[in-house]
Amino acid sequence: MVFNSYTFIIFFAVLLGLHNLPFSWRAKKINLLLASYLFYALWNPPFILLLWLSTVVDFYMARLISLEQRLLRRKLLLTVSLVLNLGMLSYFKYGGFLLENFTALLAAVGIVFQAAKPDIILPVGISFYTFVTLSYTLDVYRRKFAPEPSFLNFALFVTFFPHLVAGPIVRPEDLIPQFKTPRRATAEQLSWGLFLLSLGLFMKVTIADGLLAETADLIFSLPFPVQTLDAWMGVLAFSGQIFCDFAGYSTCAIGVSLCLGFVLPENFRYPYAAIGFSDFWRRWHITLSTWLRDYLYIPLGGNRHGSVRTYVNLMITMLLGGLWHGASWTFVMWGGLHGLFLCIERLWRDWSARRRAKVAELVVDGSMISRASVIPPIAISNSFTRFGLALLTLFLVNITWVFFRAPTFKGAMLLLLAMFGIIPNGATMLTNLAILTVSIITVVLIGCHWFMRNSSLVQLSKRLPWWAISLGWAAMLILVILTQKSSGSFIYFQF
Amino acid sequence: MKTTDYPKAAWLTLLLVSAFIVGWELYWRHENYVLSYNDDESLWASKRKLIYQSSPARPVLIGSSRIKFDLDLSTWERITGQKPIQLSMVGTSPRPMLTDLGNDKDFKGTVLIDVTEGLFFTPTGSFPEKEAINRVTAYPKWSLSQQISFQINRVLETNFLFLDAERLALNPLLNLLPIPPRPGAWGGPKFPPEFAVIDIDRQTKMTDAFVADTTIQNKVKAVWLDIGAHSPKQAIAGPPLLEILNSTKQSVDQIRARGGQVVFIRTPSDGPFRQIEKQMFPRELYWDRLLAHTKTPGIFFEDYPALTGFHCPEWSHLTPKDAVRFTEDLIPIIEKKMSWSIPRSSFNPTKKNMSSL
Repeated sequence: MVFNSYTFIIFFAVLLGLHNLPFSWRAKKINLLLASYLFYALWNPPFILLLWLSTVVDFYMARLISLEQRLLRRKLLLTVSLVLNLGMLSYFKYGGFLLENFTALLAAVGIVFQAAKPDIILPVGISFYTFVTLSYTLDVYRRKFAPEPSFLNFALFVTFFPHLVAGPIVRPEDLIPQFKTPRRATAEQLSWGLFLLSLGLFMKVTIADGLLAETADLIFSLPFPVQTLDAWMGVLAFSGQIFCDFAGYSTCAIGVSLCLGFVLPENFRYPYAAIGFSDFWRRWHITLSTWLRDYLYIPLGGNRHGSVRTYVNLMITMLLGGLWHGASWTFVMWGGLHGLFLCIERLWRDWSARRRAKVAELVVDGSMISRASVIPPIAISNSFTRFGLALLTLFLVNITWVFFRAPTFKGAMLLLLAMFGIIPNGATMLTNLAILTVSIITVVLIGCHWFMRNSSLVQLSKRLPWWAISLGWAAMLILVILTQKSSGSFIYFQF
Repeated sequence: MKTTDYPKAAWLTLLLVSAFIVGWELYWRHENYVLSYNDDESLWASKRKLIYQSSPARPVLIGSSRIKFDLDLSTWERITGQKPIQLSMVGTSPRPMLTDLGNDKDFKGTVLIDVTEGLFFTPTGSFPEKEAINRVTAYPKWSLSQQISFQINRVLETNFLFLDAERLALNPLLNLLPIPPRPGAWGGPKFPPEFAVIDIDRQTKMTDAFVADTTIQNKVKAVWLDIGAHSPKQAIAGPPLLEILNSTKQSVDQIRARGGQVVFIRTPSDGPFRQIEKQMFPRELYWDRLLAHTKTPGIFFEDYPALTGFHCPEWSHLTPKDAVRFTEDLIPIIEKKMSWSIPRSSFNPTKKNMSSL
């Protein structure tokens, strides 16, 4: 079920009631586990078997890995877990894609191969819970911690419904310790959790689905070029939609958890105010980027084997990060562009650092004074420059969104050519109301991200009087009620 | 650092939101708004689920807006004892739904296909098919969770006017803002809110205010002209038309091969609308060819005295009162044309009595 549904309201109200009854902690955890299975099963009941399989295999495999001392046997056990998890993910998510590319490859060398069309439905959340269980097994293999002795705690860690289908991607250390002692939200936590749930719903229902989706869907579905303004508005609409959709889900998940007394990790930190791409990935889908860093980039060697290997590792990580989002070459292109921008940024920083060191040397011996005064260094501490760099980053991020959202490369190229006026006289598609809506939301979104860049919602709320919070909260809920879109799925469910 | 009293904020929020809901509902009741259901994916899916119970007395209806206005489901039920399954969608071609019924191996029922030429004869995958394709592809994914939400929503929609997504949601309200149109851009048709309401069976009906007020009727006429100005000027012909006929025939044959039955219906239109339809879609090139190609019977309103003489206040649809008469007259014609024996309800007042209601 989705957070923005009547079913969820009933489900959550009942669960909250049960969680606050004087049952034993074990009974409450069983209750949470059963509720999480129900939450998942109400989508497509048979796929719950995959979730059980993943849970049981990883629980016992991690235990065996921990007991085993022989390296080869440990590696073999880890391989079993990896093959099962990644095999399931590959079959359901990438089966069709692999077959399609295999057929194309054979055709390229002149072999005609007609494969039966696979009819595979992607189990909701498989990319998320696969990463959750993988991190557990890998950490036990690395002897970062001992395996969890309680199957109930482990099953609840994997299945806990707020994060199950679209993150945040939790680590064992995030959640398992919280299951060890009884938890119940205080009145303050419950209120703040409900506030976050309302904020997440507002982002998803009102902004993403109600005000932006239609414009983005229209522009990205057109097979013909549009005017430059329309193309940009379509991309900006998607840019706002994807943020409000996904950050909305994460905010709901964090809020729902808090209402039950559990704290989930932060997943977004005002990414549209990022200065540079490394900053962007410290702010966007934080739990995925740190997962990729810890379980892919660093094991590949990270930046420990020289510049060239660092750039190669960065590119591999981002290309696979792109592929994680979907079985399509457009997602790989999206990841590749992010990798490329990260590499350029790193090159630029390395070059700047070398240059600064050189200038410092020259200044010391007095030969650089005249040149230094002609070409002043970029004052990064200047607010105006920093805002300009944030806008430049956002501009480039929006270019990458074109590949993320466009159904084909052809569609992406058509839109990019229209955005930069290379195709003139495209069709006029958007109304003034749509343009105005997208423009206002974009400006407000950038403004909010910029002013909140080094702050947090909790800090802000502590500076406001209680009635001001209430006014904003009520306005959001009223707009959610007015938008009346209760059944739209979150974009990230498909990933 | 100061700590905010979040519980206090939560209680005030609850109070403010509750006050808004009560005030908003009372306001629209005071404005004499009529209850209308949201004709969304779930309402459609709830009807799609019923197709396996179809029979000549309880046909599946696919088509565009005309059959939603013109065939009165309650009248049909009064006569036959059963209510048809309304799957038609406003502004769309019925062909994606026909393909869906053809491909459904379990469907062996009766289908009445409403043909509005400008929507039926559109290229495969074109804009008029988009929403119908969305519904058809979404149906198999209609989850248990969505079904429960639909049942809850049905109770709420039956009791609260303000849950009218078609007219009182955020976007329709924003559309009322006095923002000048952008030259060259068309934001789609904007029907006056009084035009029609939808009931839980997906029946669409003109409101009393609309039937009584020619000014509102003229607004809808202006919408038709606006749509016409943004539609292709040439009707589909040649190989694309043949493709439509072939795909229709395939689906009809699939249904008939399983023991199902199909009939095409052309409901009334008049005024300039009918004139344009005659020019763009000459009957012998489209309707007659469709029947001949698919070897399927059809009922064209102009062929039957009982079905002619209806007046469409905005050129394209019947009033609720005329829909009752049209339905009463259509059933015996279908029976005769198709040699069906449609059972009659035990409670079946005479036509004369009912017409006077």
